[in-house]
Amino acid sequence: MTDGPLIVQSDKTLLLEVDHEKAGECRKAIAPFAELERAPEHVHTYRITPLALWNARAAGHDAEQVIDALIAHSRYPVPHALLVDVAETMSRYGRLRLEKHLVHGLVLTSTDRAVLEEVLRSKKIQPLLGERLGDDGVAVHPSERGNIKQHLLKLGWPAEDMAGYVDGEHHPIALTEDGWELRTYQREAAEAFWHGGSGVVVLPCGAGKTIVGAAAMAQAKATTLILVTNTVSAHQWKQELLKRTSLTEDEIGEYTGTKKEIRPVTIATYQVMTTRRQGVYRHLELFDARDWGLVVYDEVHLLPAPIFRMTADLQARRRVGLTATLVREDGREGDVFSLIGPKRYDAPWREMENQGWIAPADCVEVRVTLTDAERLAYAMAESEERYRFCATTPSKTRVTEALVRQHPGEQVLVIGQYIDQLDELGEHLNAPVIKGETKVKERERLFQAFRDREIQVLVVSKVANFSIDLPEAAVAIQVSGTFGSRQEEAQRLGRVLRPKANGGGARFYSVVSRDTVDQDFAAHRQRFLAEQGYAYQIIDADDVLAGE
Amino acid sequence: MSVKPLTIDGMSTEFTEWLRSQSDDRLRALVSVRPELITPVPAHLEGLAGRACSPSAVGRALDRLDRFTLAVMETLVVLGAPVPYRSLRAQLARALPGTAGPAFQSALKEAVERLRTMALVYGPDRALAPAPGVREVLDGPAGLGPPAEEAFRHHSAERLAELVQDIGGGDGDTREALAALLGDPEIVGRLVEEVSPQARSALNELAWGPASGRVPNARREVRAAGAQSPIEQLLSRALLAATGEETVVLPREVALFLRDGRIHRDLSPLPPATGGTERDQRLADRTAAGQAFTFTRAVEELCERWSVDPPGVLRGGGLAVRDLKRVATLLDLPEWVAGLIIEVCYAAGLVAASGAVDGEWMPTPGYDGWRVKATEDRWAMLAGAWLTMDRVPGVIGERDERDRLLNALHPDLRRAAAAEVRATTLAMLASTPGVAPTLDAVRARLAWEQPRRRGGQRDQLVEFTLREAEQIGVTGLGLLSGHGRALLPETLDGPGVSGDPGGGRVASAARLLLPLLPEPLDHVLLQADLTAVAPGPLTGDLRRWLALAAEVESTGGATVYRFDERSIRRALDAGQGAEEMLAMLERHSTTPVPQPLSYLVTDVARRHGRMRVGTASAYVRCDDSSLLDEVMADKRAIPLRLRRLAPTVIASKSSRPTLVDSLRAMGYAPAAESLDGDVIITQLDVHRTESTLAARAPVTFGGPEADVVAAAVRAVRAGDAAHQARRAPVAAPGGQVPRSPATSTIVALREAIRQGSQVWIGYLDSQGNATSRILEPARMEGGYLTAYDETRAAVHRFALHRITGIADIA
Repeated sequence: MTDGPLIVQSDKTLLLEVDHEKAGECRKAIAPFAELERAPEHVHTYRITPLALWNARAAGHDAEQVIDALIAHSRYPVPHALLVDVAETMSRYGRLRLEKHLVHGLVLTSTDRAVLEEVLRSKKIQPLLGERLGDDGVAVHPSERGNIKQHLLKLGWPAEDMAGYVDGEHHPIALTEDGWELRTYQREAAEAFWHGGSGVVVLPCGAGKTIVGAAAMAQAKATTLILVTNTVSAHQWKQELLKRTSLTEDEIGEYTGTKKEIRPVTIATYQVMTTRRQGVYRHLELFDARDWGLVVYDEVHLLPAPIFRMTADLQARRRVGLTATLVREDGREGDVFSLIGPKRYDAPWREMENQGWIAPADCVEVRVTLTDAERLAYAMAESEERYRFCATTPSKTRVTEALVRQHPGEQVLVIGQYIDQLDELGEHLNAPVIKGETKVKERERLFQAFRDREIQVLVVSKVANFSIDLPEAAVAIQVSGTFGSRQEEAQRLGRVLRPKANGGGARFYSVVSRDTVDQDFAAHRQRFLAEQGYAYQIIDADDVLAGE
Repeated sequence: MSVKPLTIDGMSTEFTEWLRSQSDDRLRALVSVRPELITPVPAHLEGLAGRACSPSAVGRALDRLDRFTLAVMETLVVLGAPVPYRSLRAQLARALPGTAGPAFQSALKEAVERLRTMALVYGPDRALAPAPGVREVLDGPAGLGPPAEEAFRHHSAERLAELVQDIGGGDGDTREALAALLGDPEIVGRLVEEVSPQARSALNELAWGPASGRVPNARREVRAAGAQSPIEQLLSRALLAATGEETVVLPREVALFLRDGRIHRDLSPLPPATGGTERDQRLADRTAAGQAFTFTRAVEELCERWSVDPPGVLRGGGLAVRDLKRVATLLDLPEWVAGLIIEVCYAAGLVAASGAVDGEWMPTPGYDGWRVKATEDRWAMLAGAWLTMDRVPGVIGERDERDRLLNALHPDLRRAAAAEVRATTLAMLASTPGVAPTLDAVRARLAWEQPRRRGGQRDQLVEFTLREAEQIGVTGLGLLSGHGRALLPETLDGPGVSGDPGGGRVASAARLLLPLLPEPLDHVLLQADLTAVAPGPLTGDLRRWLALAAEVESTGGATVYRFDERSIRRALDAGQGAEEMLAMLERHSTTPVPQPLSYLVTDVARRHGRMRVGTASAYVRCDDSSLLDEVMADKRAIPLRLRRLAPTVIASKSSRPTLVDSLRAMGYAPAAESLDGDVIITQLDVHRTESTLAARAPVTFGGPEADVVAAAVRAVRAGDAAHQARRAPVAAPGGQVPRSPATSTIVALREAIRQGSQVWIGYLDSQGNATSRILEPARMEGGYLTAYDETRAAVHRFALHRITGIADIA
């Protein structure tokens, strides 16, 4: 027994005690081959997966290093079987390689004939292949470059893609570092990607992933297609690129539900790309609209399945994925690995926090107790009506008022889902309400007033979440919401939880009805936020009301 | 010098006398290394000698010899007559690749001493002789064929005369004459010179064994002059002997000539060097200890699961494949490890079948005792059981010779050699400290150490042993761990130890393991995501409490627990209070309890128990509450254990029929209600087998305990003294022996063998005459009794069914 900070679990998770004096050193050693899964206050959980190990291989680490790191930092003996498994898994990467051949175009070669024979017997692989070239190689249809990588990964023999990239249409792009400069890790990330050819950069929320994208574009100096999650981020990307690069308004096109511009740098949303009419993807031509030199995927962990299929055909173009986490709720991490590329960069989360690039915010859950009459009504409500019922209970209004009163002089956003509730809140708080029907002009006016501190409290519906520039607020109060995927929800919360311009922490309240489905949703959110390292506490509405 | 020993029952008196002349110390050493000689304890030294020379006992003794010692034994057998030590040495030295160095000298001394201790060789240094019986068992020593005298056994006198004549020996038609000729190297040399080169190369093929070959028409009686083919040339010169229609054998004398006087081709007094990876012993110990911890926990997890959800016993015995897979999934381990864990549980007596037919596999009451022990003791018990069990988990999933699947816990998983191979393999690892040998190196070494015990099955067992030892934590990184070493006997055939790792060795293994195990902690790290991380094993109380109040999310070096509403409620159900739980959390957390966690506990507690659920087996309801008042007040209702739940409802712990009957007896007229109203609360049943028996007594290996040995030798000596004193025939008492039933006869005889006492029997001899004898029974097997017959002054065998009666001697 040593006093290392790391504990290896039998399910291949690694527990890192963060308060240990050697935690930083250990984190550096294990980060290349283990994915951070949870980061609550005392013990962070990493997981060793085959993909993580292959990522490490792609980044030039070998099994010996991985095993040394585990043994050196582990507090207890590392099970021998796990070490053997690590070595075995890592040795699988790169036995097969995709290479460019002068005569045959694309070929699959192997240093291990037995492996090649094994994969050639696979029924899924066979149709992707051309003629056999001697003992150690086989031609591959160039159009199947993505497919074959996907299938080989599924067979457990990930291929190293050495076939190179097309340069694409040249377009001058440069960073304009006036009054700001690329942070060290951002530069490192862009360079790591460029050297790797294609791949994914993993940075925590708020670490400036857009700028890494911009830096990558400046490296490529070619026409670029940027795929983002929604219109809001499309706008943000555009703003950032105008601010950070030599690109002008005319050079950046938006390809969204409303605008269809194709320019040297085009920003498209996943949504528009995956829109189908009569079973046909209408906007596929965008991929062929220009000779793109670079494709940027924002929030890779949210990349929808059709985009993967489209990406399979783009293997000759450079691709960079940006994300905060490689963990996908649909388990398609393998496709990210084979189609976009291995992880190229991963920033030390802890270090970034220490440097103040990201700041945690306080989350407070306020529990409201339903009255007896409400409880009876809730119990009798139809199941689809239940959430609406408990989310809009009048008690919430009183608590929200009290909360607003507790933050005098601070900018407060009240966020909700149901218009009736919002209107009522607006009335009680004497604050303007922004909802779907609010005109854009009016919306912008209110936002500006809020920013200028002319208005202190703003009530916004979910529509405002997608709004182009939801202003910063010191306090956000969520009274109701839709709770789909945990990941998506937290992503949204993450936007509100950004560190503020004045450097102070933000406060985020969720008002929740006790003993209802509202509380069940809250439990998910609590777990996610706590795992992300945000401080979280639960208080009773009565305490809020009594505290006045 | 040829000795024709006088024999009683094929036993050499010379050997018996030699044995008798040995000191008690040496006898003790003998029976320690050959424990089968004293099971049961023979009546006297003749009995001991007889048993020592029996083919099976000799075979078992030879099986224990390493390649060099076996070569020494073979050499003595080949040399035949008693030979002085220096002749033996000279003979063996010829087979050495280099010169006879000091290593050889001391190895030879040791080997001879060992053989003498084992009574496989007897006599002083000036005349060493193989013990009687060895020659017969050691058929074809060193790959040599039979001596000429035996090889030509099937030849007629005429044919022998022809052969003698053809090889130039003049007259003579006996095998002795032929053997004498072939024993002369000059003659054999001349004969070998005479034959064609092809014939010579055929001879050389057979020279180093195997000594027999196949040829068509082996019995052709060709004369040297008419010999055509190479085989005919050899047959006609007696260089080959026909042993059957199509088989020939190379006579030993000819082979020895061809071997240039050597008996073995090359001989090494030392075992082959074992190659392998060098490793740090401390790291290996740590790794093994970690694995020991994991293994022990896996066993506990399995037994806990089977406590509540026991799998069924297959009709043919064993555990269904699907249940094995389930265990593998539960423990997150490969199936073979799951099979190993199940089998070790079974061998350690922790699980058993609840019944032969339609039974279920479930923990035994022994598990409850095991569960509360400290980790190191629990491990030592498991490892001890593994070491000595005769079942082979490694073959689970394979098919037997009748193509039936071998299931876990199936009766056919037993292999006689299993325990012994495990012990030898581990002993071999013990002899290479700091080096983790490869599988091939282990096999090569074992082949040297036990050349007579080889085969595919053993090789497979060796492989199983190595991988299982690693899983259990007996070895770490391929090195035998300190605590694993402690489980092994001092030496496998040394005195004073028994194969069953008794209390002593298990305890010392546990003692050695203890400091390597992580110290139990009494604190956990509590986090806002409602997890508790125990960064090491926890003390018993805290572990049990957390198992109650939280769900285990991941195990390994640490344990991750997650609190949720259900788990908190479970703790509340078990009688914990919110305050108590919070205090527990505070006491065992080094950091403040996260607010969401304390909130969760109080919040769940707030709602807990607002609704009450109880157990009642019947109820009485009545709209007239005064009638119920009356029932409650009635003294006769006390045994019904009634409880008023509401003015109009009474609950009872008696069953509905009882309640109805009792109320009727009290003069009421209750009507029974349908079952829908009946409340029956089921409880989670925890299953245990009824028997406390362990699965099976473990197989023993190694020698018996020192005190057993000493007592046995004393008994043999005493019996022998008494036996020696009375040599003359004794008259049987007059009168008829009372008749007694066969079963009591056998019981009485067994008792007499055990005590070494005399009995008086009535016996029908082979002619059917009733006789009366006084016997000193020595051995009973296969329906026969071997005994010293006082009335005839000789050892005889008696058919048990002809013994008409038995009585003690007055």
